[in-house]
Amino acid sequence: MYLLVILIPLLSAVGSGLGGRYLGRKGAGLLSSVWVLVSSLLSFVLCYEILINGSTVYIELGRWIESYLLITSFGLQFDMVTAVMLIVVTTISGLVHVYSTSYMREDPHLPRFMSYLSLFTFFMLILITSNNYVQLFIGWEGVGLCSYLLINFWFTRIQANKAAIKAMLINRIGDIGLMLAIILIWKEFGAVDYCSLFPALSPSSACTWICILLTIGAVGKSAQLGLHTWLPDAMEGPTPVSALIHAATMVTAGVFLIIRSAPLFDYSPTATIIVGLVGSLTAFFAATVGLVQSDIKKVIAYSTCSQLGYMVMACGTYSCLSSLYHLLTHAFFKALLFLGAGSIIHALLDEQDLRKMGGIIRGLPLTYVLMLIGSLSLAGFPYLSGFYSKDLILELTYNNYCIISIYWLASITAFLTAFYSFRLIYLSFVSKPNLTRISAQHLQEADWNLLGPLLVLAIGSILVGYIAQNMVFAPGERPLPLVPTIVSLAPVIMSVTGILLVFILRPYIIYYTTHPSIYGFLFYAWEFNQIANYYIGSTVWKFGHIVSYRIIDRGILEILGPTGIAQFMVNRTKELSSLQSGLVFNYALMILVGTAIALKYLVVN
Amino acid sequence: MNYLVLSIIILLIGILGIILNRSNLIIMLMCVELVLLASTILLLFESRVLYTLFGQIFAIVILTVAAAESAIGLAIMVNYYRLRGTIAVRALNLLRG
Repeated sequence: MYLLVILIPLLSAVGSGLGGRYLGRKGAGLLSSVWVLVSSLLSFVLCYEILINGSTVYIELGRWIESYLLITSFGLQFDMVTAVMLIVVTTISGLVHVYSTSYMREDPHLPRFMSYLSLFTFFMLILITSNNYVQLFIGWEGVGLCSYLLINFWFTRIQANKAAIKAMLINRIGDIGLMLAIILIWKEFGAVDYCSLFPALSPSSACTWICILLTIGAVGKSAQLGLHTWLPDAMEGPTPVSALIHAATMVTAGVFLIIRSAPLFDYSPTATIIVGLVGSLTAFFAATVGLVQSDIKKVIAYSTCSQLGYMVMACGTYSCLSSLYHLLTHAFFKALLFLGAGSIIHALLDEQDLRKMGGIIRGLPLTYVLMLIGSLSLAGFPYLSGFYSKDLILELTYNNYCIISIYWLASITAFLTAFYSFRLIYLSFVSKPNLTRISAQHLQEADWNLLGPLLVLAIGSILVGYIAQNMVFAPGERPLPLVPTIVSLAPVIMSVTGILLVFILRPYIIYYTTHPSIYGFLFYAWEFNQIANYYIGSTVWKFGHIVSYRIIDRGILEILGPTGIAQFMVNRTKELSSLQSGLVFNYALMILVGTAIALKYLVVN
Repeated sequence: MNYLVLSIIILLIGILGIILNRSNLIIMLMCVELVLLASTILLLFESRVLYTLFGQIFAIVILTVAAAESAIGLAIMVNYYRLRGTIAVRALNLLRG
C-alpha cells in the first residue's frame, strides 16, 4: 500500500500518456482522475496509520550508489512530515484531475495534460517520501520538469514558452544551491540519508554553509524574494496547473526541504535568521504587489508568494512544524482560490482581467460563496483554517523576533493579505458590472466536475485547520507562544480591518491615494524583472558576447588554436618550399654545405 | 705536397665554377669534369705516396665514369636545347617548389 500510493500516479501518467490515443479524451480523464483519487484515498489510510497511530515506516527498495565512502539506497521514509505532505499532494492533485476533466474539456490534448499532471504527482511523491537527499533531488528535478511541461502546455503561445523557460532557468539557480548543499553534506558528514545524517550532526561552520545553500534551493523553488519572478509568469499555464503546481504543491517543495532539514537548521542560528528574514521580506513584498495587480491569477500568484514567505518565515522561528501546518491549510484554501478563479475565468469566456469583471455574483452565486470561503480563510478569519496556522506563525515570530523587523513585516502582511483578497472578491463579484455583453449573456455556473472539487476544497478550507492541529503536532509538541493578549488579537484585528476597508473605502482607494510612480512600482512588482533584465541579464549577455565569445572563443582560442596554428604552418611551409628554387647552382651549394657539415660531424669526430 | 695543393685548388675551382656559374650549362659540365680530374689527381698522388695500386685502379675507373658522364650529360643538353632552344642555367628553374 505504501508503494501503491507512489506507483498509481506513475501508472496513470504512463497510461494516459502512452495510451491516450486509445483511451480518448474522456477515457484518459476518467482513468487518471480515478487512479489519482484512489492514491489519495490510500494516502488518507496511510495518514491514519502514520499520524494517528504514530507508526513511522521505512522501506528499502535497493542499492543505488555504492562506493567506498558513500552508500546510498533507493528508500522510502513515511514519517509525520511525509504523511502531511502526502495528504496535500494527493488530495489536491486528485481534485485538480477531476477539475481538469471539465475545465479542459474542449482541449484536444487532454490525455497529454492528464499525463503530465499525474507525472507531476508521481515526482512530488518521490520528493516527499525519499529517505535521502539524492533521491529527493530526483523528485525536485522531476517537478521542475513537469512545471516546464505544464506551463508550456499550450506550446504554440510564445508567452507560455518564455514563461516556461524562465521558470526552468530560475529554478535551476536554486537547484545549483541544493546540489552544492548535498555535496557539502556528503563531504562533511559522509552520508546523505536522513537516518544516518541527523544523529551525526554537530555544531560546525559547515552547518551554516549547508543551511545557506539549502535556503538558496528553497528560495528558487518556493519563489522567495529575488528568485520569485518565475511564479507570476507561470500563470501563463492553464488554471488547474496554477492551482496544482504553483499554489499547492511544487512551490511548497522548497518549504518542505527546509522542514526536512530542520535538524540541520537547529545547529545554525545564522541560517535560521536568514531564513526568517527572507521569508518575511517575501511575504511583505508579495503582499504589496498583490494589492495593485489587475490579472486575477496574478493576484492569487502573488498571494501564494506571500504565503510561501510566511511558511519560510515560520521555519525561521525554530518551529518547522508550524510551517508544515500552514503548508497544509494553505494548500486547501489556495487551491480553492485558484480553482475558483478558474471557474470565474471559465464563466467569463477566458477573461482574466479584474477590471473587466464585476457584479458576477448574480450569475455565479456558488462560486462566490466558495471564493469567499477561500478568501476568508486566506485572510485568517477566525475559526477558518487559515486562522489557526497564520495566528500561530505570527505569535511565534513575535516570540522570537519582536525586535528585528520580522514580526512587524508579518503583521503588515496579514493586513495587506486581507485587503487584496477582498479586493479580488469586490472587483470580480460585488462592484458594478464591467463585462462585455457576450460574457454577461453566457454567465452561468459550470458543471459539477468543476464545482465538486471546489466544494471539497471549501470544506477542507473550513475544517482542516481545526482537525489537523492535533495531527500535525505530536502530542505535547505544539509550540505555545507566550505573547500579550493584544498580540494574539492583532492578526484578527488586522484582517478584519483589511476586509472592512475594502467594503467601506472601495479598492480604488489605492489607485487614488498613491502616487503614480509608486503605483507603477508596485504594479511592476518592485521592478524586479527590470533589474534582473537590465542589470544582470544584459550585462551577462554583453559579457558573454563580447568577452567570452568574441574575444576568447573567436579571438584568443582561435588564434592559439586551429586557425592560428594552421596559418602559421602554411606560411612556414611556403617559405620552406621556396628553398627549392629550381636553380641547379643553388642545389650544388646546398650539397656542398651539407657535405661540409656532415664531414665536420661524421669524419672529424 | 704540391700535388695535393694543386688538386685541391682545381677541385675548388671546379666547385666554384658550378656554384657561381649562372649562364652556361656547358661550363657547368666542364667544371664537373674539373672536379673529377682533381679527384683523379688526388687518387694518383695518394697511390704514389702510399705505394698502392688501388688509387690508380680507381683513377682509371673515374676516367671511364667521367667519359660516360660527359657523354650522357652532353646528350641531355642536346635534347634540352632541342626542346627549349637555350641552355642557360638560369632558364632551368621550371621545377620550383
